[in-house]
Amino acid sequence: MPAEAPGLSDRDLIAACAQQDRAAFRALYARWGGKLNGVAMRITRDSALAADATHDAFVQVWQQAGRYDPSLGEPGSWLVSLARYRALDLVRRRGREVLGHQPIEEQADLAPDPLSQLLSSADGGALHRCLQTLTEQRRRLVLLAFVEGYSHTQLAERLALPVGTVKSWIRRSLVGLKECLS
Amino acid sequence: MSGTSDDDAPLDLAAEYVLGTLDADDATAAAQRAASDAPFAAEIRFWEAKLAPLAELAPEVAPPASLWTRIEQSTQADSLPRAANDNALAWWRASALTCLAVAAGLAAFIALRPPAPAPSYALPIYAVLAPIGSTQPLLVAVAGQQGSLLIRATASIQVAADRDLELWSLPPGATKPAPLGVLPAAGLTVPPGQPIGTKLLVSLEPKGGSPTGQPTGAVLYGGVLSELD
Repeated sequence: MPAEAPGLSDRDLIAACAQQDRAAFRALYARWGGKLNGVAMRITRDSALAADATHDAFVQVWQQAGRYDPSLGEPGSWLVSLARYRALDLVRRRGREVLGHQPIEEQADLAPDPLSQLLSSADGGALHRCLQTLTEQRRRLVLLAFVEGYSHTQLAERLALPVGTVKSWIRRSLVGLKECLS
Repeated sequence: MSGTSDDDAPLDLAAEYVLGTLDADDATAAAQRAASDAPFAAEIRFWEAKLAPLAELAPEVAPPASLWTRIEQSTQADSLPRAANDNALAWWRASALTCLAVAAGLAAFIALRPPAPAPSYALPIYAVLAPIGSTQPLLVAVAGQQGSLLIRATASIQVAADRDLELWSLPPGATKPAPLGVLPAAGLTVPPGQPIGTKLLVSLEPKGGSPTGQPTGAVLYGGVLSELD
């Protein structure tokens, strides 16, 4: 079997993992390892922590493949979620305890422009449209939280706002997004 | 939609869990809740699906070359018991038979022992006093004469079918808990060697225990091993 298993969908590969098919597991890793590690890297900003999150996510894939229900969501959304939750947990529990409370350097690439990358898929197009209904500052809060893994406190520091304001703006943004996306 | 009524609160929590703004304890509590609360889990899936395109904003980063080997090693042991022709299964069967034999012997021993003349409390006896009206099961840890510890729930602790409770010890001065094993309903005996002051913790984990060797789910119970004086 070639490393990327052409002709087999992600769902096929996950179903094969549930049958203890290690070649399918390897192929899934070849397809998704870089993506999951990239998502984890963006949140942890530390290659060792990102690799830990990617490791844990794939171990969970192997163990939970039999319980993955394709009717409940896209494989990619499931895989990325596993890595994100592990990365967030690692960075909240360990990374920032060790690193202390350091201000995070400014990154220019979350300006509104990169959002055009979302337009490549139908779901992304809907999300793009709904994000545009938020004010720029609230959109920025949502993106920094999801992509960079910022906590409420870090968002407040980054945008020089009270934590309570950040929390309430995020809640209102989510309510607006939910209405728009439903 | 006001977004502020009590009914909305759990759904806000699901959205914030997916967005990633909850602190670690709230996030593990949310993950645990999703295991038993179907509408809450559905709300999480809604947000995961809708926000998934944002992952496009994080560029791919090739993992270290050694990572696949690590993942293989971490998942290899997991696959052993399922290989029907593997020696591990034969070993497991033999062990199970041994356990049955031991259990049978124990039952006979108990049945044949003459009744005690009066209760002398040679065995560890315990009572757990809980707030009246509380329905939450509690966990007790009782030291045996040889220094082993029995950890057992006062009533069955319900977890989802795909979850297990796992017991951990955190000795004084340690920074990472050590796994003591999955906690079955019948309780778990921990070998001697846990120093006084050790924290005992129970977390909610995927079936079979944590995949990482560290707690991955919510820590539900905790207590400190103490001497009575």
